[in-house]
Amino acid sequence: MNWLRKMLKPLMIVAPYVLRNSQTVAYPTERLMFFDRFRGRHVFHLDRCISCGICARVCPDASIELVEIEGKDKKYPQIDYNTCCFCGYCVEHCPKQALEFTDIVEFATADRSELVYSPERLMEVPDIKEILPMMKRRTEAYLTDKEMKYRKVKDV
Amino acid sequence: MREPMIKPDVMRISWGPQHPMSGQTRILLDVDGERVHRIIADLGFTHRGIEKILENRTFFSGIIPVDRMAMVDTANMSIGYVTAIEKAAGIEVPERAKWIRTLVCEMSRINSHLYAFGLQAESTGYFPAVFLWTTVDREILLDLFEELTGARWSFNFFFPGGVHQDLPDGFREKVLKAVKYLRGRFKDYWGAMVENPLFENRCNGVAILEPKDALRLGATGPVLRGSGIDIDMRRDEPYDAYGDVEWEVITEDACDVMARTKVRFHEIGQALNIMEQIAQKIPDGPVKGRVNAFMRVPEGECISRVEAGRGELGFHLFTNGTGNPYRVKINSPTLRNMYVFERLAELNEVFIADIPVIINSIDPWYLDADR
Amino acid sequence: MNSNTLFAGTLTSLVQANQFSLLNIPSMIIEFLALNSKPLLQVLLLPGLGFILGFAIFAVWFERKFLARAMLRVGPYYCGGRSGVLQVFADFLKLFMKEIIIPASIDWPFFVAMPVFLSTIPSLALLLIPFDSNWVLWDVGSLSLPMFFAIMGISPLIPIFSGWASNNKYSFIGAWRVAYMYISGEISLVICAAGVAIMAGSMDLVKIVEAQRSMWFAVPQFIGFILFFLGIFIESERTPFDIPVAEVELVFGWRTEYSGILFGFTMMAEYVLFQAWTLMFVTLYLGGFNGPVIMGMPTASHIFWLLAKFMVLVVFIILLRCVFPRLRMDQMITLGWKYMTPLALLNLFFVIVMKMLGGV
Repeated sequence: MNWLRKMLKPLMIVAPYVLRNSQTVAYPTERLMFFDRFRGRHVFHLDRCISCGICARVCPDASIELVEIEGKDKKYPQIDYNTCCFCGYCVEHCPKQALEFTDIVEFATADRSELVYSPERLMEVPDIKEILPMMKRRTEAYLTDKEMKYRKVKDV
Repeated sequence: MREPMIKPDVMRISWGPQHPMSGQTRILLDVDGERVHRIIADLGFTHRGIEKILENRTFFSGIIPVDRMAMVDTANMSIGYVTAIEKAAGIEVPERAKWIRTLVCEMSRINSHLYAFGLQAESTGYFPAVFLWTTVDREILLDLFEELTGARWSFNFFFPGGVHQDLPDGFREKVLKAVKYLRGRFKDYWGAMVENPLFENRCNGVAILEPKDALRLGATGPVLRGSGIDIDMRRDEPYDAYGDVEWEVITEDACDVMARTKVRFHEIGQALNIMEQIAQKIPDGPVKGRVNAFMRVPEGECISRVEAGRGELGFHLFTNGTGNPYRVKINSPTLRNMYVFERLAELNEVFIADIPVIINSIDPWYLDADR
Repeated sequence: MNSNTLFAGTLTSLVQANQFSLLNIPSMIIEFLALNSKPLLQVLLLPGLGFILGFAIFAVWFERKFLARAMLRVGPYYCGGRSGVLQVFADFLKLFMKEIIIPASIDWPFFVAMPVFLSTIPSLALLLIPFDSNWVLWDVGSLSLPMFFAIMGISPLIPIFSGWASNNKYSFIGAWRVAYMYISGEISLVICAAGVAIMAGSMDLVKIVEAQRSMWFAVPQFIGFILFFLGIFIESERTPFDIPVAEVELVFGWRTEYSGILFGFTMMAEYVLFQAWTLMFVTLYLGGFNGPVIMGMPTASHIFWLLAKFMVLVVFIILLRCVFPRLRMDQMITLGWKYMTPLALLNLFFVIVMKMLGGV
């Protein structure tokens, strides 16, 4: 009978899992809230940049190149997301905090040249609802003693 | 590679790179019926030339490829390189930074062992339940990483001189809550998987590695500790805060696949103890030393050895006074364990059905074997 | 119903008497439909084409949803509302439209024919199962139990042929693993079924079910009950006995080279075998279609009770997939020869003793 009890014990442990909630997020209807330090796409503040070039020199993948833009006489950074590894050195070493991270991660395109973001394109941060029009909620994860659950933070 | 000749009474199967369970490698099996006579491992499919890349990058930029050597266990990979640079340059690390580094390394170790656990369950045919439970539990750790460092894995959080950012508010309570949750989950894993009679049938007595063979062939990590030998780099050459917290080295005496699985299981328990102690007792202080991003290191060489999730990882660093290292030699744990794996077919009687179980008990991550 | 002709009516007799003319067709059709409504219902719906295909589709969807719940995720979610019921149809449609890749070095008549056989031969055996005292589609009278085992005995040969015909090392290993597994597993099943036949006093499936009216055969023959339950897993190659198709060791075993609709046939074959053996298990040990009559309709309530027992077993067997890992080949052979066959013989001995003492 010890044998029978040994066989039934995994069954008793696994069977209640069928009744639990699913631990998935129904993307793109729901989207998780990211933390403050999350390293997503950059945003560039033109008024703070002094064109020192530290971001281009410290970037490990040589993804930042200083280019000219219309109407200004200084050069500003252009980031090539084909090679950027989101390490965070450019943000950390900028003396004026002109480059910062946002939480946009959806910028897949069909053409490689579109992934090279000019300074003007880096300046504007589209609203998340424009990128994902089918999104309805933002959720976040929280931990109880027994399981991790997702709860709604806000409707969008 | 030049493969050895096939003997006339065996069939050579290429457990090839296109296989649901082979990982990113090819393993050739010489098979006679159901019994495997010889195993030949053909590594090198994911060679990226990290050692050469590191020669062309500055020290700070070089931490990033080293992070990507084993993504599931990144902190332990980069701590080795960072410790080597600190030894070569003679940089002091503040106390609080050392404790934060230990916390992140132990969380990374839990991540790696949970992944190995899930793969071990999948290799015995138990895919539906345990592998996805471990994925869910790793989500909790990945969320903690994201809150602390900004990325889920391949965060480059360490640099020679400290860590990039301090703990955010409320992080210590979150760590304690995660520890409590994970401890509750382990009762489920232990009962559903390790004490499952069919899992014990698959794992007990399979691929026995005697202690003298383990030492002779150069095993490392849980493979070595599962054969009863008491070697652990965190205790033998302590780095960071491992000397300040209380923990034990886990060894098992049964020398088979089940022993290695149990070693990993109990190491997760020890890692949770360390995390709890750090979250309660971490000292205050600064977190970064003053280090230049384009630092130059005086000429010399140094060795640093750390204990990654898979075994002992060694960095032998040669510098020549410029901003780039002259040569970095990485001694990876998986490469050493794959050599042990090849010899296992000669030491035991191994069936084809045992091969995935044995591979996942050695827990290879071929990207750090190939670098 | 005469066991020689399934369909009654004037059509067959007129054709035999050579008195057939085109003007009689409409009235013959109406007469055909009126006289043969029950056989037509049996062939098309239950237990014929509709039941087999319907269960295969339902079982695929249910297994995906159920296993997803055990894995803490949702299964198919987008096709067909929130429950994803149309996902199975979408997958079958996709498999129909894919290209069937046939490598140059394989033996292609065997290769293409084997999945089709594997789906259809077990469904031939499924037609023997009685859903009611007079609702048997293929009525062979007192030979239905041996006929079932005779037809199901062909089903191990098909993976062996297709494994050899595929000319692939993984398929070859899968083929001889099938051979090992069925040899060790099937003997105990036949001996257990012989025990049931002795206790019921006949080899007709309808009479076996009617002999269980007072007590199900699971109670006095509990050893046979457990062994036949294991036999369902062995014969339909489900976890923990899906050794020939162990995906982590051999890339899908004997099914490796199949693509497109042939792959769809092998998937369906797994569910047809599963269905046939589970129904046989319910018939032999759990009382078949016996059960209290609901609302005064004996035929419908008998069918309902058979299907209810069947569904409970299906859910339990799918749950067992989540719980246990797979056996190794030598452990399976040890189990078959050392434990299952002697226990089946012991079961047969007990049945003979009970019958001779006049007990049951």
